[in-house]
Amino acid sequence: MAVAREFEYFRPETLEHSISLLGEYGENARVLAGGTDMALKIKQGVETPKAVVDIKGISELERLESTDNGLHLGALVTFSQVMASGLVAANFPLLRDAAATVGSVGIRNRATLVGSLCSAVPSLDIGPALLVHEAVVLTRSAGGTRKTGINKWFTGPKQCALEPGELVTGIVVPLPPGKAGGCYVKRGRYAGKDPAQAGVGILAMEKNDYRVAFCAVGPVAKRAPSIETCLHGQELTDPLIKAAQALVPQEISPITDIRASKAYRTLIIKVMLERGLKTAVSRLKGKPSAHGAIWI
Amino acid sequence: MKKTITLTLNGDARSVDVETTETLLAVLRNKLGVKSPKCGCDQGECGACTVLLNGKSVRSCLIFSVEVDGQEVVTLEGLSHNGPTPLQQAFIDRSAFQCGYCAPGVILSATELLTVNPHPTQTEVQEAIAGNLCRCTGYESLIEAILAASRE
Amino acid sequence: MEAMEELKFVGKPTPRIDQQEKVLGAARYVDDLDFGPNLLHAQVVESSLAHARIKKIDTSEAEKLPGVVKVVTGKDFPYHFGLYMQDRHIFAQDKVRFAGEQVAAVIARDLATAKRAAKRVKIIYEPLPAILDPREAVKKDATLIHPELGAYSHVPWFFPKPGSNIAHWRKVRKGDTIQGFAEADLIFADTYRVPRYAHCSIELHGAIGLCDHSGRITVWAASQSPHTQRHIFAQALAPLGFTHQNLRVITPYVGGGFGGKAGVTMEILAAALPTLVKGYPIKIHWTREQEFYNTYQRPALVGTLKMGVKKDGTITAFDYLIHWDAGAYVEYGANVVNASGLSATGPYRIPNVRIDALCVYTNLPPGGPYRGFGYPELLFGVESHTTRMAQQLGMDVVAFKRKNAIREGDKLPYGAPMTPNGLTECIDRVVKTIEWGKKEEHSDPNKAIGKGFAIFWKAPAMPPNAASSAFLKFNEDASVNLLISAVEIGQGVLTAMAQIAAEILTVPPEKIRVESPDTDRNPYEWQTVASHVAWGTGNAVKRAAIDAREQIFEAVHHACFLEKDALYLEDEAVKCRTQPGFALLLKEIVINGIMVEDGTYRGGPIMGRGTFMPRFTSAMGDPDTGQGGHPCVHYTVGAAALTLEVDKQTGRMKVLKAVEAIDAGKAINPQIVKDQICGGLLQGLGTVLYEDMRFDESGKLLNPNFTDYKLPTAMDIPDEVIPIIVETPQADGPFGARGIAEHPTIPAAPMVANAVCDAVGVRVKSMPVTAEKVGLALAAGQTEVE
Repeated sequence: MAVAREFEYFRPETLEHSISLLGEYGENARVLAGGTDMALKIKQGVETPKAVVDIKGISELERLESTDNGLHLGALVTFSQVMASGLVAANFPLLRDAAATVGSVGIRNRATLVGSLCSAVPSLDIGPALLVHEAVVLTRSAGGTRKTGINKWFTGPKQCALEPGELVTGIVVPLPPGKAGGCYVKRGRYAGKDPAQAGVGILAMEKNDYRVAFCAVGPVAKRAPSIETCLHGQELTDPLIKAAQALVPQEISPITDIRASKAYRTLIIKVMLERGLKTAVSRLKGKPSAHGAIWI
Repeated sequence: MKKTITLTLNGDARSVDVETTETLLAVLRNKLGVKSPKCGCDQGECGACTVLLNGKSVRSCLIFSVEVDGQEVVTLEGLSHNGPTPLQQAFIDRSAFQCGYCAPGVILSATELLTVNPHPTQTEVQEAIAGNLCRCTGYESLIEAILAASRE
Repeated sequence: MEAMEELKFVGKPTPRIDQQEKVLGAARYVDDLDFGPNLLHAQVVESSLAHARIKKIDTSEAEKLPGVVKVVTGKDFPYHFGLYMQDRHIFAQDKVRFAGEQVAAVIARDLATAKRAAKRVKIIYEPLPAILDPREAVKKDATLIHPELGAYSHVPWFFPKPGSNIAHWRKVRKGDTIQGFAEADLIFADTYRVPRYAHCSIELHGAIGLCDHSGRITVWAASQSPHTQRHIFAQALAPLGFTHQNLRVITPYVGGGFGGKAGVTMEILAAALPTLVKGYPIKIHWTREQEFYNTYQRPALVGTLKMGVKKDGTITAFDYLIHWDAGAYVEYGANVVNASGLSATGPYRIPNVRIDALCVYTNLPPGGPYRGFGYPELLFGVESHTTRMAQQLGMDVVAFKRKNAIREGDKLPYGAPMTPNGLTECIDRVVKTIEWGKKEEHSDPNKAIGKGFAIFWKAPAMPPNAASSAFLKFNEDASVNLLISAVEIGQGVLTAMAQIAAEILTVPPEKIRVESPDTDRNPYEWQTVASHVAWGTGNAVKRAAIDAREQIFEAVHHACFLEKDALYLEDEAVKCRTQPGFALLLKEIVINGIMVEDGTYRGGPIMGRGTFMPRFTSAMGDPDTGQGGHPCVHYTVGAAALTLEVDKQTGRMKVLKAVEAIDAGKAINPQIVKDQICGGLLQGLGTVLYEDMRFDESGKLLNPNFTDYKLPTAMDIPDEVIPIIVETPQADGPFGARGIAEHPTIPAAPMVANAVCDAVGVRVKSMPVTAEKVGLALAAGQTEVE
């Protein structure tokens, strides 16, 4: 594929330099990290930047470390790094499980979590996990730094709260308040790499506290507050699950597209919710080794 | 816009003039004479363009060549300086490939797998090559060959 | 026949002779060839509409762009081409007939410039109604897609209906269906639908053409058909003075074919464009997107099938009305309709048969050959329907199919006798391996397990005079170069041919190089299609090897005064039955001859030749009944079954175990046959479980990419695949062999549909049988999905 439109390529080595380039070029600049999405868009002419700012020379964006209140994932942390991280495995297995459902090894070796947050597709696999963990997106521009709650980050299909001149420097993922069991349930057209037809991420916590988030069943990945309220404080039973399932239609707004019909998305997301809740609770209750996303 | 990049390609220091818009795949094939990475979709979906960049399998069609300035790239041609690797020999012994167009990508993906995980399970093998589409084999022979190599 | 003797190389799992090159990065495909600094690139300008009249083409803005060498339109090449029916042009002329059709091309010094310039070519269209449904297209008031149909030249076995959109109507009438249905205790009819599919070889279509300053054209192409391409190029470019003599096609390794690279599609551009820019090679290479919409697609169909059976399970009558959506041009696709139509009953003995297979023009991309050549599409209906009829009779499905399974000597739908086959052995071995009849329960209450079974057949679809040939030459070390023009598209033809030559010459396969086609140097081959090369080319290679052996014996006879009848080859040496101590090593004689007493020599370089053309076939059946001809050389048959897990809440399916038996006649290389079964089966499973081409209402393809056209990955394979080889010798095959390469795909779709029904009671009558269809039906309590 020959790229029809030329661009200037920059590889700043400091955050300051990258910010000044983004400020200088504004709307005409695009940030390049893993490139699995951005390079394709540029090749296809979907994006036609004048300046491509490759941030892979900025070593401080490579940080994957624990902080006082959780986990810091720099903008250059790839899906493969998340999957390989002992830190993530120990404290955020849900994050690792969701990351493992993204693309394939050759994509995950390059693609960054932050990049996928900026792509903000409705089927974002990592979306539900970050939502239930109440992650915070860190951005920086010439005007300073900004923190955005993940629930405010996705503003529409392939749209996010990133502003021109701004760079996402990382994500902070807080630790759950106590013990937690997580589960990501994904339905693709097959077991191989595929954008989700529907996805649900669940975090079951002590005192029967539950967090639930969906992807691919609406314009953006989102939490399901009415379902969480319904579940809150109650032992998970079949009647409770049924009650929660009944609330699904009001939490989602699925469309019919080439990957699935609205009717099918509506059908399976209920099944996925049930299986996800049961698995999350069983993991909370002491099956920490039984990890992995559920494919249905 | 033109740039000159240098990289280590299959162990050799190489320098080449590129356009910023040129992908690593295009530069390898058209300017550096390395033909094993194939263009099967040019969208990162098929895995035929897989190369090892600093030891990790990546899609060379989704990387601009300017991004690899100063880095190390290995293609299928670079694996067998001292004869076939045990993995390559396993593929040969199994007569694993049919048309062979996916072979460079499959072999590099499997090379990475066996480097980080010398004794994978069958499921791990399947996951490792899931990004490499093959229309001929039904994958059975590929999986058998990789597992055979892992038992060496 | 040699099959009776002890075989040393044939029938052995010889390692593939192409494997080192492919594993070590040495194999070269067409996109890997370098053409130097004068290489030009071509980019086509494509129709944005499915059906429209071209009012005006303005190329002036494109021509102004620096680096553009030439902009070419239909005016430059107002010539027809086509394999079986000449209904295509090199570029659209007055009309476009599918979205994506080439209307013009830009030739430029680099690809980026060509692409930029192509966007500047302005085309003004007058839209015409686009017909996407073949049953709409045959209505009386339908817009004619080819008003000129009556003027097109075509092979004598096509019967176009000018003034309609019916490009060919294959009729088969055997026995008396009215009587047959009257005899039936149960009559059942239903309609089955199969969408379009894409071949998806991982290598894209690509070709480079050069018309040198002397006026000679060479085309390097990723092709299954170098000689047929040369022939079609010669026909198309005849008005410019080109004949076969000044055309050459070279084909290196091909990265997968599956029918998609047979005949001629985009390669016509690589032959035509260079005639306008002599001395410059021009490369034209499809993108994956173009690969989806501007090469052949597997055509779609709607088929209504009515069958009559007696209480004891005997099939008495069969009536199949098939409307094929064959696309905008049917130059190749009409033969898919024809060949599969002749055998649309599937492998059953049925006395009364009526088949109407209509090849219908639509405004979708041209339909054409795809692994299985119409049989997988037709047998989805047949093998679903026979299963349902058995169930309605209360009979075991396998017992029903086995009872009606065709046997050697039974009359085929067109009257000729059925060829030798091991269909019942295939059935019995599959049934045993899958443990048919043993109901399996899933440990998860949300999941059910079902079994599906199907039988199948397919004959090579060829013109009656489709020929193969081979040259074979020895080198000083008794290694051999075998020149054929069958193409290695992954099926293993190089290795199989080396094994055949090795068997005759006693030279081991690893010492035999089998050369990829160059029409200037390699001898004629019709095409690498129809699973016919193991049989046809195999026969030619065997004859070439025997010819070479005769030359060796002749030389030894003259030099050593030994009777030729007493000579034989063993371990690369000539030996003599009457003189046990005699041995002449091949490497000492095959180039330099044999010195005799006076110091002179006998013999010399050994070069064998062999040709093969079936002599008993004829396409001249009666147009109204199909009776009287002998269109098929033989049938390859088989049976298959699988065990399928179905999620009752979501419809998600997983193949737990698949068994497939095919009668190869003689497996020249059993490992290659088994690998064909594994690969072909997954390709078939892809078509039924995941893939299909989706078009919008205007005829534009919605999923020309691997994101939404779902090729199975290594994660999507059955837990277990058991290939079974049955060997009922093919009397006229090399060592008894017949082809098997297409066949593994054929049973996949109906056996999945049958297994779904067995597991959860939902009958899906349209492909693909997706989790979504099954899941929604289960949720709604439906037992049938249209």
